Amino acid sequence: MIRFILLQNRQGKTRLAKYYIPLEESEKHKVEYEVHRLVVNRDPKFTNFVEFRTHKVIYRRYAGLFFSLCVDITDNELAYLESIHLFVEILDHFFSNVCELDLVFNFHKLWLCLAGFRPDEYSVLYTVQVYLILDEFILAGELQETSKKAIIERMGELEKLD
Amino acid sequence: MGSQGGFGQSKEFLDLIKSIGESRSKAEEDRIVLREVETLKLRLNDPNTPKYKLKEYIIRLLYVEMLGHDASFGYIHAVKMTHDENLLLKRSGYLAVTLFLNEDHDLIILIVNTIQKDLKSDNYLVVCAALNAVCRLINEETIPAVLPQVVELLGHQKEAVRKKAVMALHRFSQKAPGSVSHLISNFRKKLCDNDPGVMGAALCPLFDLIAADVDKYKDLVVSFVNILKQVAERRLPKSYDYHQMPAPFIQIKLLKILSLLGIDDKKASEQMYTILGDIMRKCDSTSNIGNAILYESICCISSLHPNPKLLEAAADAIAKFLKSDSNNLKYLGIDALTRLIKINPEIAEQHQLAVIDCLEDPDDTLKRKTFNLLYKMTKSSNVEVIVDRMIEYMISINDSHYKTEIASRCVELGEQFAPSNQWFIQTMNKVFEHAGDLMNAKVAHNLMKLIAEGFGEDDDTADSQLRSSAVESYLRIMGEPKLPSAFLQVICWVLGEYGIADDKYSSSYIIGKLCDVAEAHPDDDKVKAYAVTGIMKIYSFEIASGKHVDLLPECQSLIEEMLASHSTDLQQRAYELQSIFTLDAQAVKKIMPMDSTCDDIEIDKNLSFLDGYVQQAIENGAQPYIPESERLGISSISSFKSHDEHEPSTHALRFEAYELPKPSLPHNIPPVLASSTELVPVEPSYVADILHPTSAPSASDAGSSELKLRLDGVQKKWGRPTYSSPAPSSSSTNQVKVQNETPRPDSASSSKPTIHDTAYISRKQQIEISPEKQKLAASLFGGSAKSEGRHLPSQKNLKTQNHTSDTYRSSKAPAPDTAVKTSQPPPDLLDMGEPSIASSTPSVDPFKQFEGLFDFTQETTPVSTGGVHGATKDSDFTSLFADMSLSAQSHIDPNPEPNGLRGNKVKPSGNQLNKGPNLKESLEKDALVRHVGVTPSGQNPILFKDLLG
Repeated sequence: MIRFILLQNRQGKTRLAKYYIPLEESEKHKVEYEVHRLVVNRDPKFTNFVEFRTHKVIYRRYAGLFFSLCVDITDNELAYLESIHLFVEILDHFFSNVCELDLVFNFHKLWLCLAGFRPDEYSVLYTVQVYLILDEFILAGELQETSKKAIIERMGELEKLD
Repeated sequence: MGSQGGFGQSKEFLDLIKSIGESRSKAEEDRIVLREVETLKLRLNDPNTPKYKLKEYIIRLLYVEMLGHDASFGYIHAVKMTHDENLLLKRSGYLAVTLFLNEDHDLIILIVNTIQKDLKSDNYLVVCAALNAVCRLINEETIPAVLPQVVELLGHQKEAVRKKAVMALHRFSQKAPGSVSHLISNFRKKLCDNDPGVMGAALCPLFDLIAADVDKYKDLVVSFVNILKQVAERRLPKSYDYHQMPAPFIQIKLLKILSLLGIDDKKASEQMYTILGDIMRKCDSTSNIGNAILYESICCISSLHPNPKLLEAAADAIAKFLKSDSNNLKYLGIDALTRLIKINPEIAEQHQLAVIDCLEDPDDTLKRKTFNLLYKMTKSSNVEVIVDRMIEYMISINDSHYKTEIASRCVELGEQFAPSNQWFIQTMNKVFEHAGDLMNAKVAHNLMKLIAEGFGEDDDTADSQLRSSAVESYLRIMGEPKLPSAFLQVICWVLGEYGIADDKYSSSYIIGKLCDVAEAHPDDDKVKAYAVTGIMKIYSFEIASGKHVDLLPECQSLIEEMLASHSTDLQQRAYELQSIFTLDAQAVKKIMPMDSTCDDIEIDKNLSFLDGYVQQAIENGAQPYIPESERLGISSISSFKSHDEHEPSTHALRFEAYELPKPSLPHNIPPVLASSTELVPVEPSYVADILHPTSAPSASDAGSSELKLRLDGVQKKWGRPTYSSPAPSSSSTNQVKVQNETPRPDSASSSKPTIHDTAYISRKQQIEISPEKQKLAASLFGGSAKSEGRHLPSQKNLKTQNHTSDTYRSSKAPAPDTAVKTSQPPPDLLDMGEPSIASSTPSVDPFKQFEGLFDFTQETTPVSTGGVHGATKDSDFTSLFADMSLSAQSHIDPNPEPNGLRGNKVKPSGNQLNKGPNLKESLEKDALVRHVGVTPSGQNPILFKDLLG
């Protein structure tokens, strides 16, 4: 089961955090700090898995942005590593198709934002969408939908509301 | 939405983002955020704020919290937004509350109503938003409020809703297994859903359920194999493909489930071989996801009944993993290798070089995984290399958690495979020097025990060599500064016990050393206590051997200091040391017999030496003593009985019994309560079941006394799960199995297998290590020696502590509690101390339940024929409380080993109890166990031993 998901930039600023277990606010900050410290200085040649307390963190780095998943010790590491990538592919697909601001805030720009280059903080503008996508992808700590198409369609339905 | 840069944010918001992005210091950022907090407070509280603005404010609030500031003032506004009719606002509200609130937050109560309403909405988007919130926010208490609606949504026409409903139920079953136990058939149904997403979601709860109770789902093996086959043959929509692999995430989940179902089940395993072979062949080993499936297949193959062809394919795949350049794959290869060497130990040897490479890798994760592999493949031929490596690594790391683990592994391996005494002592010295303070006190006791008992061979010279090499190395080492306390305790104990044993060192030399230790650690009472007791032993040995001894001046001053100590323990030791000198040699010899730590000291727990006295008193007209527990027990039993005659359903009674929850009750008790009352009406089938079978032992005892009959009922109910330990003849085991597997169409049957499955699982644990395998393991990996080694220490340890404390006579050993407590009835007290067990213990009080059951046992047993094996009856009993088993089981399954261990350890005491099984004893035991808070499963072994004789 996935315990939490974190998106952090290299400086350790949390860009997105979703917890599937109840944690106190202070505990969350501690976890975010510790996870960042664990992953930020790892050699790219190293495994993408780190022991974290009694669980393990699976992380993947995209430019300056770290996606970290905390999962059970018995979970399949590589599968979760790939689920991060699937999530990123979905984000990629969504933002490159939907976002009409391609000229100003195109997808690459978004990534640059998220990654901490240039106006880092602008990524917050997309936070809500990222959370919504995440809610379609993972629910109750488990992958609920692994079809990219199904998720994109669902997001499309939500988009119509706006 | 994206078109306006998100949600059409105001310029204000963009400016805020900009200014935070441009802030130069944390202090500046904090100032900006605090100003923003003030603005938001004003705006949100202003009733005139237009609704469309609210949404942005909530997002800004999220932002504030993400930056690490307190936004709790706005939570209530997020809650209010969920009440809004406008879907956009509602959805943002739900999103915000799922991020802001925990399931135990006070505001949840305000949302439950809205969720209830929204779950009934016609707009499926609203329903989805509500279900998302259900998954995150509904806690045990609020489950009943939404459960009916969620169940209804399983049949919703939109697949997205069905999927989320399945996940919500999955969440419920995690939080409170009892709450959805009657809905399990729904998960099975959802396997056949038209939508692959819904099917995939249903695999999650099924995986958990199967992990908790495999046997109940054996019928699904065919379905899972079929689904997996279809997935692998690309029958699912193309959109589920990921990197050219068909629905890999679903495949992996299915493989995980199959590996559970195939454990020790030849028949089930055989059904899976073909599809596993196909998958292994089809996997694309160039992509990550292909390798993930490959790895999962290997895991599955290693847990199935072995199949040579598949094992070969798995070995090939592992070879590829290990040869890869990617650390991720190497890591998986090492892990897979660890799993496979259990079946085929030779396979590791082909990969020696690769393994050594991984061991030397700078990547800690990979290194630790490799150490884990080495630990599993240690044998006497390679123990030196492996343990040396481990110690080297242990010294280099700072992570105390892992340090402790690796240190105790070193000790364990050293104890089992040490090639020589000298090596063993040196190794232990190193481990204790560097990690002594992190280690469990038990480990230190184990070391003392080992030095005292030797390695178990009847070779006295070797043992004394071990001791003298220990003494020598300790004398050398003890001058070093900053030795851990646990290590010093061992040193003091060994010096006291064996310091002058081979006449190499004079008594005054050793005593001087011990005084130095005590002086050098003025703040460590434990070390001082060990030191002064060591001194006392040496003086006693000297006095006992008739030598004239003088108190050394430094010893005199040490005694004086201790006499004035604040610690009563130290004071007492000092007084005792003083008084030794006033006794003659004969008396001292009795108090401190030389080298007697290994002698058995019999403790007469029944105080039978007083029997004569008691008898005399009774003859003189005294009332026989009845323990309080029994007195209460009898009265309550008789009241149950009279009650039962009028009203066969013990509904009210049992309910009463449940009402005394332990203070440490885990949160899952309410559902147990609820469902047990639900189950009571299943009376007819219950009675019918109970009439037939009875237990063989109880039949033999039948009629001897009422008390005994009752006791049998008690034993069987809880004795069952560890049935394995006495290892009955295989034929009877089979019989039980067959009976268990007989399908029963009645309503109770669906919940029935739960408990005997637990037993089945634990039995399997035993069967798993078949004699041949054991031999094989012993010859190749020292496997059998290893498992034995794990059982013995704590048992012996207990013994040692007894001796020690007794040798000290009235003085308290530094860890005397255990020794003192042994006078109480069995459950292994050493284990009680272990936090892991205590904390994981769901302290549902099973014995209360029994009191409700007493009557049934009493009434039905005489009627029964006595021909059927006891196990069946047991399962019938338990079927009534099958819901209990869910909670009990969740505790048992994750680590069945401790239970097995305990079963072994308790053996000796079981014999003792056999002498007189009666209600009194069992109630005493119950009381004790209740007091200590052991689970039913923990208690079982003893009870069951009683029964089997």
